[in-house]
Amino acid sequence: MKKLNMMIALLVIASVILAACTPAATEAPTQAPAPTEAPTEAPTAAPTEPPVVEPTAADCPKAEVFCVGLVTDVGKINDKSFNQSAWEGVLQSQTDGVADIVQYIETTDAKDYAKNIGTFGDAGFDVIVTVGFALGEATVAAATTYPDVNFIGVDQFQAAETDGVAGLNFPEDQAGFLVGALAASMSKSHKIGAVCGTDVVPPVWRFGEGYKAGAAYADGMNGTTTEVFVVYHSDVGFDKTFTDPEWGAQTATSMMDNGADAIFGCGGITGNGAITAAAQAGAYAIGVDTDQYLTLPEAAPRMLSSAMKLITPGVAELIAAAKDGSITYGNVFGDAGYAPYHDVAGEVPAEVSSMMETLNAALLDGSVVTNVPPVKP
Amino acid sequence: MPSEKQTNSLSKFISSLKQFIEWIDPILVPLLAILTSMIVGGIIIKSVGGDPILAYKGLLEGSFGSVELGPVKSQRAISETAVWATPYIFAGLAVALAFKGGLFNIGAEGQLALGAVFSSLIGYALPGWLGVDLPTIIHLPLAILGGLLMGGIWAGIVGALKAYTGGHEVINTIMMNYIALNSTSFLLNGVMKDPSPTNVIARTPLIAESARFAPIFDGLRVHWGFVLALFTAVFIWWLLNKTTVGFEIRTMGANPDAAHYAGVNVKRTIILTMFLSGALAGMAGAIEVTGLNYRHELGFSQGYGFDAIAIALLGKSHPIGVVLASILFAAMRNGATRMQFLTQMPVDLISMIQAFILLFVAADAIVRFIFRIQSKGERVVLTRGWGG
Repeated sequence: MKKLNMMIALLVIASVILAACTPAATEAPTQAPAPTEAPTEAPTAAPTEPPVVEPTAADCPKAEVFCVGLVTDVGKINDKSFNQSAWEGVLQSQTDGVADIVQYIETTDAKDYAKNIGTFGDAGFDVIVTVGFALGEATVAAATTYPDVNFIGVDQFQAAETDGVAGLNFPEDQAGFLVGALAASMSKSHKIGAVCGTDVVPPVWRFGEGYKAGAAYADGMNGTTTEVFVVYHSDVGFDKTFTDPEWGAQTATSMMDNGADAIFGCGGITGNGAITAAAQAGAYAIGVDTDQYLTLPEAAPRMLSSAMKLITPGVAELIAAAKDGSITYGNVFGDAGYAPYHDVAGEVPAEVSSMMETLNAALLDGSVVTNVPPVKP
Repeated sequence: MPSEKQTNSLSKFISSLKQFIEWIDPILVPLLAILTSMIVGGIIIKSVGGDPILAYKGLLEGSFGSVELGPVKSQRAISETAVWATPYIFAGLAVALAFKGGLFNIGAEGQLALGAVFSSLIGYALPGWLGVDLPTIIHLPLAILGGLLMGGIWAGIVGALKAYTGGHEVINTIMMNYIALNSTSFLLNGVMKDPSPTNVIARTPLIAESARFAPIFDGLRVHWGFVLALFTAVFIWWLLNKTTVGFEIRTMGANPDAAHYAGVNVKRTIILTMFLSGALAGMAGAIEVTGLNYRHELGFSQGYGFDAIAIALLGKSHPIGVVLASILFAAMRNGATRMQFLTQMPVDLISMIQAFILLFVAADAIVRFIFRIQSKGERVVLTRGWGG
């Protein structure tokens, strides 16, 4: 009997909760019309001017309102890495006047990929940017559900072309090549290191191999022999390989104990740990993906450069191409580059910096090639 | 002068009002804690320049739909809330059951992961091993049973350690979490990794069709695992309140010495309680695999086992309370997407509001002080701490 009473009490409470919810739901419509009221006010304020209406996300289904949505991988929009760089590309497309509405959704669990992409798809967005290779399958699947949407998959290699999906990839080997050549030219001990995430992820492997190839190229130019240590954190799982700064720091320290005086960190927070340790020990630190001088203050004073995927312009260009209809599907390649020397610019000899400029141009025009295959053989 | 009858009915009314307050008391504090944390959350949203009403509107629409959103999207919103609630209910029941026995199972996360791993193994590999295609009626229960047993055994080890060596279950479940999660990572990167050539993600192959729950409705992701979760909650309530085993668990939770003198085999009951708790957590993982993801992947099931502790606390370890708390947490996690879509506020805010709810539930004196509620009766002892 007591249990029955308990149940009744619960039902009462449940109805109280529901009742409490109702005002919020009925308040909502009074909130919602606010944006639509704006246009009616605008003409009265300036009757001669054409009404300037700020479009909202609710206008996205309209053809004339160009909307771009971004879905992050499990992570934050301000991760100082892929998510952030891609989002800056989206923001740039807004600044350039290409996109009218830009919005993002941060993913908190892998099972939500499809739902988060679908939130933009249902809202009539024109372009959906999905960040990271883990969203690859969900992106391809969404392209079927939302055939009118252009998808930009950052770092998503397309094994087969899907209509509506442009996979934005980068020549990581070229970026690694550039900083490898720089590290080999700047090393006094002629020993340099790289601490990377797992080589199972092809882009990470290409960074590491490009680094080796770049060092060898610089040796050929400078007449030196540089010993290159490249270590991948392949002994742990995906949840750990990019998020293990202690391991990164230890590995970098042991490389420096062996005489290395420049460390390239390629692999998320693991790499950050490595280059922070390197910078604190006074060695050159080399970042990855974005200009980490700006994002990793602990290593900034000794940050020589960063192997950059130019994600921001890559995303912005693809959004512009989606708008004017010139977008191509399948794999699209952005550019690689290297970041400025910042605080250690005074230590870089003029001949090294001019060699780097020449090398960068040569890689872009194809007169120098890295000879790194797309995936680990 | 009022007649005897009137006095009677008045005192009857007062006594029934008192009774009502007594029934409502156990959930009054959680409800007010939710309300308070929503207000605090609203102040935070406002202080960072957001619109709290729009944010909560998004949260509500995203989790339960609305007229404005239309029937299709509303159905999908409710379905997704149920999808989120499913593992929460199982894992929340797991922690709640252990609480009832005076045990603190922090290892639900690891038990859940191992349950998911073994459920997927049975799901994708068993037909190959046997060389026959299994019908769903056999394969699906086997896949769930695999996860259930794995989780149960994993937690049962901790129970045995406590029963025979006195090793505290809090420390041991945390340590077993490390072993479970790293083994999962090892297996998913190694022998159990999806061998298809384009796959670079640490995940198992897809399980066979015969090991999958059917969706309840076409086009929505909510599956029969959700219904099973609700039945399991009823079953656990029955187990705890209507059976000898449940009585022994509750007696042990209230006072193990008294239980011992009353003739309860305390050692056996500790192991059994941990086994049942782990089995429920393992089931959470197994149901995620068989009902939703059809495989296990490292990105799935982020922290359900830890949310489950919060859910069990919020639900006061009562199975129905756990279901309600699970639905609340599921709604918040699911609605967060739409909240972010509408307001562009960080989803971390949801975690903050969840944390506030717990803070106010755990430190219920704060809520009781704010709303001037007097504490009645003895306090529910969740776990007996280090001396236990």
